[in-house]
Amino acid sequence: MSAVVPVGIIDLLATRSYYLVTFLLLGVGTYTMIASDNYVKKVIGLNLFQVGVFLFFIAAAYVDGANPPLLDEPGPYVSPLPHVLILTAIVVGVSLTAVALGLVVRIYAEYGTLDDDVVREVRADE
Amino acid sequence: MSDQDADAEVDVGADAETGDATGGIQFGPGQDDTGDTGPDLEAADADGRPGPTDAPGGRAPYVESPIIMTTVRVVVPFVFTFGLFVMFHGANSPGGGFQGGVIVGTVVLLLGVAFGIATTRDWIGPRIPVAVVGLGVLTFVGIGAGSVLLGGGFLEYAVYGVKDATKYGIELVELAIGAVVAGVVTGLFFAVSAGGRPGGEPE
Amino acid sequence: MNELPALLVALPIVGSIVAFLASLVRTRSGWYVAVATLAVHTVAAVALAERVFTEGQLSYVVGGFTAPYGIELVVDGLSATMVVLVAVVSLGVLAYARVAGPRSNPFYATYLLLVTGLTGVSVTGDLFNMYVFLEILGLAAYALVASGERGESAVAGLKYLIVGTVGASLFLLGVGYAFVATGTLNMADLSVKLAEVGYTSPLVRAAFGLLVVGLFVKVAVFPLHTWQPTAYAGAPDSVSALVAALVSTVAAYALVRVTLSVFTVEFLVANPLARQLMVVAAAVSIVVGSVLAVAQTDLKRMLAYSSVSQFGLVVAAVAVTTETALTGAAIHLVGHAVMKGGLFLAVGLVAASTGTRLIAGYDGLSQRLPGAAGSVAVLALAMVGVPPAVGFVGKWYVALGAVEARAWPIAVVIFLSTLLTLAYFARLIERMYFREPPEWATDIDEAVDTDADTGGVADVATDGAGPRAVSTGMRATVLAAAVLAVLLGLAAVEYGQLLEPTVERLLS
Repeated sequence: MSAVVPVGIIDLLATRSYYLVTFLLLGVGTYTMIASDNYVKKVIGLNLFQVGVFLFFIAAAYVDGANPPLLDEPGPYVSPLPHVLILTAIVVGVSLTAVALGLVVRIYAEYGTLDDDVVREVRADE
Repeated sequence: MSDQDADAEVDVGADAETGDATGGIQFGPGQDDTGDTGPDLEAADADGRPGPTDAPGGRAPYVESPIIMTTVRVVVPFVFTFGLFVMFHGANSPGGGFQGGVIVGTVVLLLGVAFGIATTRDWIGPRIPVAVVGLGVLTFVGIGAGSVLLGGGFLEYAVYGVKDATKYGIELVELAIGAVVAGVVTGLFFAVSAGGRPGGEPE
Repeated sequence: MNELPALLVALPIVGSIVAFLASLVRTRSGWYVAVATLAVHTVAAVALAERVFTEGQLSYVVGGFTAPYGIELVVDGLSATMVVLVAVVSLGVLAYARVAGPRSNPFYATYLLLVTGLTGVSVTGDLFNMYVFLEILGLAAYALVASGERGESAVAGLKYLIVGTVGASLFLLGVGYAFVATGTLNMADLSVKLAEVGYTSPLVRAAFGLLVVGLFVKVAVFPLHTWQPTAYAGAPDSVSALVAALVSTVAAYALVRVTLSVFTVEFLVANPLARQLMVVAAAVSIVVGSVLAVAQTDLKRMLAYSSVSQFGLVVAAVAVTTETALTGAAIHLVGHAVMKGGLFLAVGLVAASTGTRLIAGYDGLSQRLPGAAGSVAVLALAMVGVPPAVGFVGKWYVALGAVEARAWPIAVVIFLSTLLTLAYFARLIERMYFREPPEWATDIDEAVDTDADTGGVADVATDGAGPRAVSTGMRATVLAAAVLAVLLGLAAVEYGQLLEPTVERLLS
């Protein structure tokens, strides 16, 4: 990650590419959550959204040519803090996906379909 | 609601819904999966395409494949060891409790895929994942509270009298976390594959 | 005891695991484990509050790693209030839930996990730790909302999960921006370093925007509130009361903490647009929440939209940043939790007795269930803002603070919202006291004991579960909530004085 302000679009794409991918992932995740009818696809969109956030952290923490923060390695060192943060966030994301999929299985058992429109119609009739 | 009932009932095996008066979808909290009274998840999906329904009790049939069984039988001990390796090496290299725990949990998934989920569930049983999770969390909280009782702060490893207490304390905590994650992954796998259990896992 | 904050968070975790493990030994033991844990937790919370209100702010570093490298737990007056509120309300709902609620061990394990998350958000002094506890709290809330017996609970839980996780991910992104800007996550350190970076830098503004929007989703401010009516209506009654009383309250506390402790008042002064946007969001939320509540026929959805309106009041107080307004916000957070929790419990009590959750089903309730009707009336009037109940004190202080800060639109909107609140609650009270019970109601009351099927009109209850036994625990809790709503109003002035040093520090 360079500290220079990029000039022009090519420079932006070359140096800040990770951040562009981050926002691409956020956008794709949001679109999937909104536009798909299937609940499993909505959960996938949620996962994509979270992965975008993780990529942001990791891209910001990358130091070119640095070593892990151990005493027997020469400097410069990479700060382990963002990596630990993302590990925690990944665990949180996994448990959320697990709960979401458990709910999806239960919705299928109750309604027989995973289509959001159909479930909404059925619930409106109830 | 009746349309969904009709669609889902079309391809269900004759002996699938035992004792369920309304048939099909209404899945009460009193039912569990031991009698396989759940709905057939592979029977008819939302588009109405039929799936494999010949298995007794309406589960997707377990296909016995000697290649998969042999491979899994050979590979699983190594995967387990690798999971333990990753658990122990969290401090100096990529790894740690969560990752190692997921790999150890994968062992049970591999066995389930190779030998049939129902068989694996009978082997491991509903109590072992719960017990492993409980043991892991209690170890973690015990280490934390133990340091409080010995006069230091919560999770202050240095007050334990052993040499290199911080290193061993962190390793033990990683192992405990690995146990928790392995137990949770296993329990979740069994719960989700049972299909339609009311409520998700508490964690 | 210096370690009290950490033990306060660890205790419900242990209780949760014990409840979970106890299912191996004996099913149906969850309630007892939960009561034991929460009783000890309440005692510890009160001890902590007493310590903080007499001796001032308490900070504790976990594991001996000094701040800002380690995680610091900071408990000031507002945090201590939240901790005591969480402990007392969760114990109260537990007293209600013995007969009424779901009774499995995993339910109580998740319940205690929710209490962990709530307490953790209240005592933490580290921004990422707050995200982790927000997610723990969210996970437990999603699972609890989905623990009802009907499919509607599962759909409501899934919708809540998706929307809540998007909010929490935005919060995490905001934490990421703040971390990139300053390199630290400790809240006290962040407030210093963010000032050094400059409050007009795009990084800091982006961090603030994302953090606040993420918390707006959790607090359910218009237009990010859509999960709330579905979730409250779809959840079982005891869970609705717990979630409505505590989850958004603690999220609003997190908003206060992030806006005033991390980005201090100077940030709002340097970015008047941010303050204006918060004020606008709050005002719209107050009005739209009340308007939508008037239009509802289902009582739980009406109460959910009413919550949207009340939390708009708290956000307005945070945006206005005067001492009186913040004291009012704190009082209103506590008061609203008690009142809204009590109302949801009363709805559950009436549903258990008569099987209906529609407003139309409340005709003549004063003749059928005089105790429940009385409690509902007292709580409803407290929410409207009739003195001396706590709803009046909170709104009065916030309105006074808005006038002091010359934010006239807020004062007008608060007045308007009080009229609208009166509209929908007075409708309810009028139905209860001045109408005759419908014909099918008398049949239900006789049929309660035999648990017979009561047929079409009465069985539209959103829980799907018909009339069941009403225990004294349920009645006692609802009555206690009504009495507490009035008593808290009387004690509110002294509480405001206790809170003064905290509010001064928040605004300095």
